[in-house]
Amino acid sequence: MRAGGPPLQQGTTTANATGGATTTANATGAANATNGSAAGVGPTAPETISGWLGLGANPDPGVQFLIGIVVASLIATVFLGLAAFAGIWGKRKITAAFTDRIAVNRVGPFGLLIIVADAVRLLSKELIVPEDVDRPAYDIAPMLVPFSALLGFAVIPMGSGLQLADPETGFVFVFAAASIASLGLLTAGYASNNKYSFLGGLRAVAQNLAYEIPLVVTAASVVLFAGTLRMSEIVAAQAEPLVTVAGFAIPAWFAFVNPFAFVLFMTANLAEVGRNPFDVPEAPGELVAGYMTEYSSVYFVLLYLGEFLHIFLGGAIVATLFLGGPAGPGPAALGLVWFMLKVLAVYLFTQWMRSAIPRVRIDQLIEIGWKGMLVLSFANLVLTAVIVGLIV
Amino acid sequence: MSLEEPTGERTETHLTGVTEAGLDYDAIADLLGDRVVGRETHLNAEAFVVRPDEVQEALFALRDEAGFDHCSCVTAQEYEDRFESIYHLKRYDDPTQEVSVVVPTPRDAPASQTAEPVYRTADWHEREAYDLVGVEYEGHPDLRRILLPETWQGHPLGLDYDQDRPQIVTLESHANPLAEDQADDTGEADTMFLNIGPHHPATHGVLHVETVLDGEQVADVRSDIGYLHRCEEQMAQSGKYRHEIMPYPDRWDYVSAGLLNEWAYARTAEDLAGLEVPEYAQVIRTMGAEFSRIAAHMLAVATFALDVYGEFTATFMYGFRDREVVMDILEDLTGQRLMFNYFRLGGVAWDLPEPRAEFFEKIRDFLDELPGKLDEYHDLITSNEIFQLRCVDTGVIDAETAKDYGCTGPVARASGVDYDLRRDDPYGYYDELDWDVAVEPDGDNYARVLTRLREVEQSARIIEQCVDLLEDWPEEEREIQSNVPRTLRPDEDAEIYRAVEGAKGELGIYIRSDGTDKPARFKIRSPCFSNLQALPEMAEGEYIADLIASLASIDIVLGEVDR
Repeated sequence: MRAGGPPLQQGTTTANATGGATTTANATGAANATNGSAAGVGPTAPETISGWLGLGANPDPGVQFLIGIVVASLIATVFLGLAAFAGIWGKRKITAAFTDRIAVNRVGPFGLLIIVADAVRLLSKELIVPEDVDRPAYDIAPMLVPFSALLGFAVIPMGSGLQLADPETGFVFVFAAASIASLGLLTAGYASNNKYSFLGGLRAVAQNLAYEIPLVVTAASVVLFAGTLRMSEIVAAQAEPLVTVAGFAIPAWFAFVNPFAFVLFMTANLAEVGRNPFDVPEAPGELVAGYMTEYSSVYFVLLYLGEFLHIFLGGAIVATLFLGGPAGPGPAALGLVWFMLKVLAVYLFTQWMRSAIPRVRIDQLIEIGWKGMLVLSFANLVLTAVIVGLIV
Repeated sequence: MSLEEPTGERTETHLTGVTEAGLDYDAIADLLGDRVVGRETHLNAEAFVVRPDEVQEALFALRDEAGFDHCSCVTAQEYEDRFESIYHLKRYDDPTQEVSVVVPTPRDAPASQTAEPVYRTADWHEREAYDLVGVEYEGHPDLRRILLPETWQGHPLGLDYDQDRPQIVTLESHANPLAEDQADDTGEADTMFLNIGPHHPATHGVLHVETVLDGEQVADVRSDIGYLHRCEEQMAQSGKYRHEIMPYPDRWDYVSAGLLNEWAYARTAEDLAGLEVPEYAQVIRTMGAEFSRIAAHMLAVATFALDVYGEFTATFMYGFRDREVVMDILEDLTGQRLMFNYFRLGGVAWDLPEPRAEFFEKIRDFLDELPGKLDEYHDLITSNEIFQLRCVDTGVIDAETAKDYGCTGPVARASGVDYDLRRDDPYGYYDELDWDVAVEPDGDNYARVLTRLREVEQSARIIEQCVDLLEDWPEEEREIQSNVPRTLRPDEDAEIYRAVEGAKGELGIYIRSDGTDKPARFKIRSPCFSNLQALPEMAEGEYIADLIASLASIDIVLGEVDR
């Protein structure tokens, strides 16, 4: 979409009345599509589409809304599809590879049609609602969790021009949206009228409180480097080569610029998405299935989907903040592919942890969060601030 | 094997009746004095008959002055004219030194003093005796049924019990564990009652753990067992010695410890009937039993990882992958994977599979690969920092408490109790072989896992020596079975209690013969039963996650707990 030629150029020049510098930067980036960098501040997907339709970058709000809905559905479909692919099929294959097994290989090529079979199976199961559940809350919770994750994707620049919105405060928005999930988990745990769910819900809140702060503070060190909260600009800031080794340019991805922050962020992110060693809210074996215990059929699917979407959102944030977003070799049009690969790499990492690392106990988890991660993340922030202030 | 005496501090106090040559039963009789009203001779030990109201005094004397610190088992049975409880006592330092205390009670009022203040482990054993036989124990802290539902009518192993009358216990008639909890729902309680099980991923079967939580911490924990009670003792009592009982032991600890269980019956029945076992068969038994132990320990470690890591852990599948090799070898040997039924009284069912060279090759391949695999486990589990964070210093039970609860096997050895029947009460071919007993001093969850991994190493050593022996065994001397009468009728009123080192600990069987071809009383001493009883000692005050880990580290098999 991005290397789409004349319509794009037209769209770009008329877009973004807010910042002229950005526009020019992008125009050059787009023209040099073979440059290898898909990064750069470009128009959002709705702007591009309205440009194609000849409506200009800033058409009637109703039309904007309509186009926004179309693009949002597109993004949601992509990630729901990815969740189905990675959650039903990929997860089994990955876990099987870690544990010396083969996993699904009977239905369709490589067992891929198990995705269809499982979807039908899960959706056709009876929806059992236990007695005395807190009814509206019990129903709302499973919708809240995937919703919050999908909301977060709105501001992520996924490359190939696929970005729903690019507000100046995109960075804040994505963390705010992702945090809504805690509310969903607490609601699910509380409304289920089950002690295991209740414990799971409480653990989820305690954990998210303890790890959200280090997560955001660590991410803030990236903001110090980039000097902006706008997601597309954070990506653009990582496009410059950091060093050139033997003619091979290593880009200034923040994972390379500040590996310490990257490790911190990856760790906090594991807690944020509730994967080993921080999977105490679910803790199968202790709490049966934690907040999910009393959910069945489509509600279970929603919660399960929400979990995977959160892992992908976590991966998307990691990719955007630390791994250069959609940047990668080849034409910029391949940006989406690189972006997805990075998201899947983070997903693979979470599955790897799941297979290899024990879960910590809840008190240890809280201790690591408040006494370890928080201190380290603030140290990282201060250090980054000093370095940025002295050098940049 | 290490034949040196276990280095207990035997010299620190003088123990009555315990001499270098063995037990001086007359001295013990003097110690008990007037409390003894009679004396019996069981095949394994002398038994002193004690008045029902002087049980505690007699047991205190035996424990404190004669050093019998291990109440291995409590057997209750009904005669035509009386009820009887037998306390099988041993010493942890030397389990060959045994003594039994027989407490007869009249048929019309079967009540005797409880032994619970002397041996903590008597709590559950006496509850079981009350449940199945109907003896009542005065002063018992909690004399309820343990295996059968509370509403059960009659005592199934009593003589007047009607076996043919079905009893259906509906769900409604069961005690509702929540009722009490809901009743004091005044909002003032700051604890929460939580049922873990009977259907819960961490209970490894159908175990119900009634837990009271204070926040995330365990304030009180009680195990409710009996969901898998299958009348194993009663079934064994209705089978003939020769062939009809041997299949049952496979079904007690059914996770691959089958041969170890079979040995418990084989040893008891052979000693009871005075049967010899050819040396060649003993070597095969020893080898097979150690394979069973490896398989059982692999499963224990794998499921422990499952509970500490989560359900996607690679360790679990690693454990199963390596156990599978053992299962294949056992299948070659016995023809079965789960219910082996390979031992026979006086030997084993058949010789090693042909071609023998191929079979030995398979075993050697396994033994060659095992050290590498164990390194892998140590990489994955015991040297993992998070694992250590979770397991070191949690679920601690010290040696004295473990003894008090009658803990045996890896649970006791992980608490520093150097007690292994293979060495201390030798049977089979163990005393001819060179191996060590794995003992860890710490008594925490970590030590229990480590002990099992180290025991796997030792089992491999034993197997290796057995294979060497079997390979060179002259063809004409390969006698797998001694001459055993077609029908076994042990002497009337012969009584024996014998134990072997099962995968989980001391697996003992008491048999009383009445001169027929079926046992008059067949009592199983399950190591899991005693070990599980110690769970509150490990779990109370710990976090709920540690309760789960402790439960997993005890390595219970409910089939053996409930029998």
